[in-house]
Amino acid sequence: MKMLKSKADLVSKAIKKADIYCAAAVYEIANTNERNDLECLMFSKRRDALSLARWEHTPASVLQALSENVLRNSDIANVDSAILTRIEKNPNTPSLALSQHYKSEKYKKQKLSFIALVAEHQNTPLQILESIARFENDIEGLKSLSRNISANASVLTILVSRIPNIFDKNVAAHPSASANLLELIYARGNAYTRAAIIGHKNCPLCLVESAEQNGDLPLLMLRQLAKDERLSKNTLIKLSSNIDSVVRYGIACNLATPKAVLSSLSHDSSAAVRRAIASRFDLTITSIIVLMKDKDVWVRQWLARNLRVPKKLLEQLAQDKHADVRRAVARNPRCPIVVLDLLAQDESAWVRSAVAYQKKTPRRLMQLLAGDTNIDVLSGVANNHHTPQKILQKLALSAEEDIRRGVIINLNATRKTMLPLLEDSYYLHRLMLIKKPQLNQKDIWRLCDDPDFQVRFMAFRHIAHKLLVNSAQE
Amino acid sequence: MSTILVVAEHRQNALRPVSFELISAAHGLKKSSDDKVLVAVIGSQSEAYVEALSVNGVDEVVVLKSSVSDFDPDIFEAALSALIESKKPSVVLLPHSVDSMGYAATLASKLRCGFSTDVFIAEYQGDELVATRGGYNQKVNVEVDFPSKSCVLMTIRAGAFKPLEGKASPVVSNFDLPAVQSRSQNKEFIELGGGNDIDITTAEFIMSIGRGVGEETNVEQFRELAETAGATLCCSRPIADAGWLPKSRQVGQSGKTVGACKLYVAMGVSGSIQHMAGMKHVPTIVAVNTDPAASIFTIAKYGIVADIFDIEEELNNQLST
Ligand SMILES: Cc1cc2nc3c(=O)[nH]c(=O)nc-3n(C[C@H](O)[C@H](O)[C@H](O)COP(=O)(O)OP(=O)(O)OC[C@H]3O[C@@H](n4cnc5c(N)ncnc54)[C@H](O)[C@@H]3O)c2cc1C
Repeated sequence: MKMLKSKADLVSKAIKKADIYCAAAVYEIANTNERNDLECLMFSKRRDALSLARWEHTPASVLQALSENVLRNSDIANVDSAILTRIEKNPNTPSLALSQHYKSEKYKKQKLSFIALVAEHQNTPLQILESIARFENDIEGLKSLSRNISANASVLTILVSRIPNIFDKNVAAHPSASANLLELIYARGNAYTRAAIIGHKNCPLCLVESAEQNGDLPLLMLRQLAKDERLSKNTLIKLSSNIDSVVRYGIACNLATPKAVLSSLSHDSSAAVRRAIASRFDLTITSIIVLMKDKDVWVRQWLARNLRVPKKLLEQLAQDKHADVRRAVARNPRCPIVVLDLLAQDESAWVRSAVAYQKKTPRRLMQLLAGDTNIDVLSGVANNHHTPQKILQKLALSAEEDIRRGVIINLNATRKTMLPLLEDSYYLHRLMLIKKPQLNQKDIWRLCDDPDFQVRFMAFRHIAHKLLVNSAQE
Repeated sequence: MSTILVVAEHRQNALRPVSFELISAAHGLKKSSDDKVLVAVIGSQSEAYVEALSVNGVDEVVVLKSSVSDFDPDIFEAALSALIESKKPSVVLLPHSVDSMGYAATLASKLRCGFSTDVFIAEYQGDELVATRGGYNQKVNVEVDFPSKSCVLMTIRAGAFKPLEGKASPVVSNFDLPAVQSRSQNKEFIELGGGNDIDITTAEFIMSIGRGVGEETNVEQFRELAETAGATLCCSRPIADAGWLPKSRQVGQSGKTVGACKLYVAMGVSGSIQHMAGMKHVPTIVAVNTDPAASIFTIAKYGIVADIFDIEEELNNQLST
């Protein structure tokens, strides 16, 4: 097949193919006339329009065009709501299309329950969200709005001020809820809502302080409070001996907890508390030595992953009788090479696999691990950038899909290593190759005629994008 | 009186659990107390399985001794063809497994039996036998009936029938195999998947993690939670591709179908078509995701719009206190 030089070439090739997915891939680079042809190809059959409206890869520009096409070509009594609903559900739908849906009289008169979809879509512009908060009465729609992470503090404030209580629970968990808003809701909230507010990153200090003073705080709230880094030293010490292990767990996770308290929590009766201590990045050597002997295997695992553990002690943990602890050592970025040497010969394949995936593992160990027969180990070898090219070339021909995929993921695999994978029997692999910088445009071009529609779409899209970038640079 | 024939499956000298599920399915198809459930077991050591197959619901165990210990499609096809001609069962149940796929369709076609695969409900509606199976990639349930068929052969999905409890003393008989020329040869048995790792296709309670876990170290929290909760930890493809969990734990189109799963808790999994291909049949799906529009909610029985780390912490609190 001849290589294409211009955008027009690519668009005309897509039109000639009469394939809706190739057409969608080049829509963005097409001129007005070409776009008309492409729209004709993509939208004239309702089946195709429905597929594109829902498809996760349909570009925003195509969804916009489809949305306008439906609104333009239907009268008030006859709007194709199935297509519009799919467009509203599609995460790629641009904010313009969503605004147009919301404002369209044609669509509204159908009394379709579409507000919830627009209200929960993350691309809906703030202005529309605000208008929904102010004027709409559909409770389900407003609930969706109260969960939409694109809503800002002002939208949420309008909502809870207009209709109190109903949305408090959602707003208390909303990352954009402001301190003022949280204070307002706290005053009228139940223990659940209050606990959520105490745990919120924007919780005002005055609420934390008043909760700290309250000797009769419900357990739910106390558990949240224990994690707050603004607690006074006294409160932290007091809560570290609370009868409830979850409260103590909160203290064990709290970055403000004094070192002395952490040391005593290393002996806590609850394994969950000790596990939390073992995973802290400010672990003291005294605590490490105590926790090394912990009978709970998870405590030792957390320790084995901890960057604070000195290399000598990692060597000891590498001898643990439990394979998961040895694996955790092998995954620790500070694991010494001598320990990796040892673990590369471990009886457990899952431990050897950890060595194979470890970024530090040297070339000579990768050569050794390449002789393994386990899929997880070989996938790790295929993934690792220290693996010699010769071995990667062999693994690229493996009968196991997972191993071949490891080679595709490997940033160090060369073009020569990857070329045979362009013929891979699994379409996912051909799909993944399209984004590989090691391959050139000629290689990707081969995939434009792939039997799989997703591969064709991605290949066309990739080339279209490259042409767009090139023309912007010219 | 009619006969229901079950074909027991064994591999590497052990009966596969699905054999007992087939017995339960066969028992459910008995229309009267006169009806009989026959269990056929084929292999060079087939008599060794009689004891284990002497369970409630079985009226007769038929031992067919073959020259090879492993599964061989030609031998199975010929043996069962002769057995069906002789015993004239109204229904024949085989596991929906790679073994059965090697001969079931040919057998049904040769004997002109009714045929349905991957059946998860088999029942009589009045006098009519109806099999229910998935259609359109499990998006719809399809009921299949078999008008005017005196014998119906079905392959039964693993995990669809609960084995009956209790032992029994069925009649044991032998059936001579016809002479057959096998066209295949077993060289070596290679266990697929993650070697020593557990088989997620047989797990009933699964907790599955997706990219929502963020970092590799966070995987540990969920391994810990799954262990405490008694769940098998599985994952979406990106997690297995990164080497954070073994490949054998991957659910989906390029991973495994969790056939026996009854409860699936998806944590931070978006619910791509490819992931759902391996789990959307599960009767109870619980999904936790911060994105209310995540596709996983379209198939979840219980959806929680929340941070998986909050839920993980709360579950840990609940389970540890
Ligand atoms: C041919 C082919 C075959 C494939 N085979 C498979 C397969 O077998 N199995 C498979 O799984 N995939 C498979 N895939 C990949 C699939 O398309 C998806 O890419 C993959 O399933 C996405 O995995 P995910 O849900 O973990 O990640 P994502 O899609 O990235 O989803 C992560 C989710 O986590 C949520 N989230 C993030 N943070 C949090 C938090 N703190 N709390 C709660 N939720 C959170 C997000 O909202 C998001 O919904 C295949 C793809 C192709 C093309």
